[in-house]
Amino acid sequence: MGLVPVTPGPSLVDAGISPADAALLRRLVPAMPTAWHRLNPLTKATIAAGESIGAFVLGGYLGPLLILALVIVPSAVVARVAGRLLRVSILVSLPIAVSVVLVTVFTRAGPTVLFTIGPFVATLEGADFAGQVLVRLLVLATALGLFGMTTEPRALVFDLERRGVSPRLGFAAAATLETIPAMAERAAAIQAAQRARGLDTEGGIRARLRGVLPLVVPVVLSSLTEVEERSLALEVRAFGRPGHRHLLWTIGDAAWERPVRWGIVIAVIGVGVARLAGAWPHIP
Amino acid sequence: MLELRGVSYRYPGYATQVLRDLDLTIADGEIVGLVGANEAGKSTLCLVASGLAPASIGGRLTGSLLIDGEPMTGRAPHELAERVVAGFQDPATQRSGVAATVFEEVALGPMNLGLAVAQTVGRTRAALAALGIEALAERHPSRLSGGQSQLVALASLLVMRPRHMVLDEPAARLDPAGTNLVAGAIRALAATGAGLLIAEHRTDLLDGLCGRIVVLDGGCVVLDGPAGEVFADDRIEGFGVEPPARIRLARALAARGLDPALIVLDADATPVRGVASPDPAAAPSAPA
Amino acid sequence: MTAIEIRGLTHVYPDGTRALDGVDLVVPAGQRLAIVGQIGSGKTTLVRHLNGLLRPTAGSVLLDGLDVRSTHVARLARQVGLVFQDPGAQIFSSRVRAEVAFGPRTIGLRGAALEAAVDGALEAVGLTDADALNPYDLGLSRRKLLAVASILAMRTPVVVLDEPTTGQDARGTARIRRIVADLAAEGRTVITISHDLRFVAEGFERVAVMGRGRVILDGTPETVFAEPSWPVLASTSLEPPFAARVGARLGLGSTPTEASLIEAIASRSAEAGSRRGSS
Repeated sequence: MGLVPVTPGPSLVDAGISPADAALLRRLVPAMPTAWHRLNPLTKATIAAGESIGAFVLGGYLGPLLILALVIVPSAVVARVAGRLLRVSILVSLPIAVSVVLVTVFTRAGPTVLFTIGPFVATLEGADFAGQVLVRLLVLATALGLFGMTTEPRALVFDLERRGVSPRLGFAAAATLETIPAMAERAAAIQAAQRARGLDTEGGIRARLRGVLPLVVPVVLSSLTEVEERSLALEVRAFGRPGHRHLLWTIGDAAWERPVRWGIVIAVIGVGVARLAGAWPHIP
Repeated sequence: MLELRGVSYRYPGYATQVLRDLDLTIADGEIVGLVGANEAGKSTLCLVASGLAPASIGGRLTGSLLIDGEPMTGRAPHELAERVVAGFQDPATQRSGVAATVFEEVALGPMNLGLAVAQTVGRTRAALAALGIEALAERHPSRLSGGQSQLVALASLLVMRPRHMVLDEPAARLDPAGTNLVAGAIRALAATGAGLLIAEHRTDLLDGLCGRIVVLDGGCVVLDGPAGEVFADDRIEGFGVEPPARIRLARALAARGLDPALIVLDADATPVRGVASPDPAAAPSAPA
Repeated sequence: MTAIEIRGLTHVYPDGTRALDGVDLVVPAGQRLAIVGQIGSGKTTLVRHLNGLLRPTAGSVLLDGLDVRSTHVARLARQVGLVFQDPGAQIFSSRVRAEVAFGPRTIGLRGAALEAAVDGALEAVGLTDADALNPYDLGLSRRKLLAVASILAMRTPVVVLDEPTTGQDARGTARIRRIVADLAAEGRTVITISHDLRFVAEGFERVAVMGRGRVILDGTPETVFAEPSWPVLASTSLEPPFAARVGARLGLGSTPTEASLIEAIASRSAEAGSRRGSS
């Protein structure tokens, strides 16, 4: 399975790093409790992408469900996140699922009518389409969820940088993820300040609507100023400097992972092309 | 050496010149204090002296910034970063947002400079030790108190081993212990030959730390000289600068017809414990 | 006029942190009280109970007899005005005047009374000439004064200022001192959290020192900054103000403010002078 860090290893001592420092560097690496966690981040990303695109490319119900049952769920079990993953995926996809079902069941034209509500006609074809979309949605949610739950953003960013992607790109992605909790905290602080000025957030609908502007504007304005100050602080630390960086740690790549990644990519492309060419057998 | 020659600056989108035809030199190993009322332009001067204005924030600069004799016009921000670093008031915005530990946060600068792992680790350890925050190395940077964050932000700059440093109120949120650590780290950096510019309100802090004080008013330098002289100058209060406590007390005594020399202070009675007062004589006992 | 009665106040945050551990504090109406102590000692947690932003885990907080636990924050805002440390946390209007008017308008002031409240507040902070400006065109310290004005305009009987002098220049600090004095002269209760002990010693008649969620010392500046209290101050990372240290070194007793120090030196000299004269 995937090696833990590439950088802290026997070569460290030769590079002039004391055992104490090497131990510290090892502690900086995010915890990877299971074999799944220890896979290289790019591998996990490729698997997630393969599962999601594969579900769309395969068509029908059986394909996506097999991906879910034979690949995603076992991986989640190995990673010990199966329960949480299913709970969160269903919760997150529920709103979209409901709207998709409502729209397609009633708008998909077809000959077999199931029932009517006023001007809206529910067809079997619509229900079938909705079902297929739901199944793909579930695969997408669980595949991405599994990746998100078992991969530290920094690990992926450093891995990409190791492979030649510009650090700035990776940084932009990682920093964006950080801004969400930061903005939530900011919003809470602003809400407290406005309540201290008499803003009623516990009252009725009208009161709450009136309270939107005094809450939203400071969040946006202060976030914008924060972004500017943050970027200055980064530039001062030579962030934009071109050239290679020696990272403190990266996640290793086992020998077999590369062929597996390529295998997944080729398989997905292959099935896609076959379907387009009409050469793929119909699966329910 | 860091030099500003005939510098005027206005922010992008604004017509008013915030800095006007300003000259300032910071020699190697010098610690210069920058004081003045809040709208005098201190923060702007910090941005210009570090090259961030106009290189990163835009705006219009006339005159020139020279570092070690080389003009910095048109240089990219990362080229400036290798020569001068700047610290700002809000420690929260100086966090990179991509490090999950204080160690990695502080190590970001050396990594960006392309240093080998051993060097990065060595420098990071030294910077953390200089500010007494080794114990915070594995903590998450966003779960620190205001004072701790400020120390981490300063460590992130020290680790760059800059030749010049510009700091805007570096001790604003710190308690006496933290302020002492910052003062010590500043002195240690200056001892390596780096030149520093520190913008502050707390003249007591600058009193024991800076050899030279520059007073800014309306975007112009109105006073520039040795700390002892500038702080004793009667005009600084008119520029919105409160003299340090020892001067205030000496003046109050003189106003009462008492001998100002009645209060001569040693290290124990100065406002920041550990910062040596310019007057090393011991306090006399009261006349009996 | 409002008195504040805090009895056995305990607050435990959801993550288990015991921020307040049985605080007893009675604040008579019209008092100027400063709350000091190291970060984490519970100062901010304490004041947030006064306007209902936090609810007690145990114990009680009474505002002029009104139990804060059963009152809406919006209602408490009429009694207690709390100025937060960070002005960016509340500014949303594009004009200074509108920003100041938001608070009083929300609690029900209208017409001439509203305009008078806004004018008064702007004048107290020195922003009368800036009332048509965009708040972000003011410097950071004037924005802080704007935040103070927004609360002053609400004319609350109790005003709480959280670190009002941080980042202020000499003029700004002088202005804050004047505001505190004016509020007290009007009979309002003024409470501040500050690590500027000189500001505390010179402007406030009572100092409550907090450490680890409790009030560990409570008295006048004379008592709290006198030499016998220094170990307690040190236990919560505080150093006595400069004047107090010099006075103690010169054997002049407790001199928490520079004025009292000068007085003490003057009278000591006068004594010495008269003794010399009579010998």
